[in-house]
Amino acid sequence: MLDYMIYILAFAVGSILGLVYSYKQHGEPFVAVTKLNAPAAVISIVGWVLAFNSGNVILSAVGFILAGFIMGERPGYGRKETAIGLIIAIIVYLLLRFTV
Amino acid sequence: MNLMADILINVIIAFLAGSLLLGLHRKIMARVQKRPGPPIVQHLIHSLKFFFKETAIPKTVSKVFYIGIVFILALIWIVGVIAGPVAHDSLLILFGVYAVYKIVEHNSGSSSGSPYGKLSCVRAVLSAATELPLFAAIVFVYLVTGTMNIGEIITYQSVHGPLIFTIPLAALMFFMLIITKSPYSPFAITKDKVLVSGFETEHFGLLRGFMLFSESIAWYVMLWVFLTIFFGPLTAVGYLIGMIVITFITGFINATTPILSPNHSVMTQITIGAICFFGTILMIFTGVVA
Repeated sequence: MLDYMIYILAFAVGSILGLVYSYKQHGEPFVAVTKLNAPAAVISIVGWVLAFNSGNVILSAVGFILAGFIMGERPGYGRKETAIGLIIAIIVYLLLRFTV
Repeated sequence: MNLMADILINVIIAFLAGSLLLGLHRKIMARVQKRPGPPIVQHLIHSLKFFFKETAIPKTVSKVFYIGIVFILALIWIVGVIAGPVAHDSLLILFGVYAVYKIVEHNSGSSSGSPYGKLSCVRAVLSAATELPLFAAIVFVYLVTGTMNIGEIITYQSVHGPLIFTIPLAALMFFMLIITKSPYSPFAITKDKVLVSGFETEHFGLLRGFMLFSESIAWYVMLWVFLTIFFGPLTAVGYLIGMIVITFITGFINATTPILSPNHSVMTQITIGAICFFGTILMIFTGVVA
C-alpha cells in the first residue's frame, strides 16, 4: 500500500503546484482556452506515460507529479493536454501489455 | 508490514483519495450545470486550509461536547478504515461506525447552541431512515454468503461471482446510502442550505478541518465497502475506476436534483428501501438467488 500512498501524494502535490503556477501565469477571469499548449502537452504525456508504464515507484511518482501539475491547473487550462496525455499513456499501456 | 504503519498509510490514502474524489464530485456537478467549477484538488486544499485558521468558539456552545464530538467523528471513521481496508473485519463494525456517525451528526448540531445546528440535529434523527436499508442490505449479504466478515465475503465472491449479480436490489439499497451521504444530495437534509451548513455551521478553524478530514475518509470508506461487498475481489485499479464511476453517477444525480424536504426525503428513502427489501426477499424465496 505504501506505493499507492506515494502515488496519490505525488499526484496531490503536483496538482497543488500546478494550480499555484497556473494562477501566477494567468490572473485573468475564467477563459475556456481552446489553443493547445505544446509544452504542457509534452509534460502531460511524459507524466502519464511514466505514471502508468514505468514499473518503478520513483519514476511513477515523478510521472504522477508531472501529470498532476498539468491536470491541476486552474479551471479552463490543461484540459486538452491532460486528455492527450491520458489517451497516449493508455495506448502505450495496452501496446506494452499485449505485444511484449 | 507493521500494523500501525499499515493503518497510517491507509488513513492517509483514505483522506487523500476521499478529498480528490469529493473534489471531482464538485467538478462534475459544476460541469453538468455548465459552470467551470473549482479545481479537483480544491477540496483537499480547503480541508488543509482549515487546520491553519483561527479556531473561534461561540459563547453558546456546550464546550466539552462541542470540541470532543469533532475528534470522535474523526476517530470513528479511522475505525472504519481499520475495520474495512486494513483488517477486512466484520460488516457489523462498519454498521456500528455508521450508527455512531449519525449520533455524532446529531450531537454536533445540538452542542453548538445555534438554531441552524439544532434544526440539523433534529433532521439527523429523521435521516436515520437511511440506516434501515443499510442494515437490510447487510442482512441480505449475510443470508447469501453466510458470513459478516469482509475477507470471507471477498473469498465467497471470488468463487461465486460478484454479489451485485446475485442481490442487485440489496446493492441498490446500499447505493441509496452513498447517494444520501454525497455532497448536495437530494437526501442531504441535515446540510440543507436553509440551515446554512447544518450541524457544521458553528464549527470553525481546526474543528472544521477535522470535520472535512472525516468527511473525506467517510466517502472513501463507504465507496470501498460498497465495491468490496458487491463487486468482489478488485485490484487497486479496479477500486480506482469503481470509485471514480460512482462519484460520476452521484455527481450527475446531485447536479440535476434539488434537495427534498425532510418528509419527502425520508418517504422516498423508505419507499425505495421497502421495494428493494421485499424484492430481494421475493428473489430469495422464488429461488432466483441461489
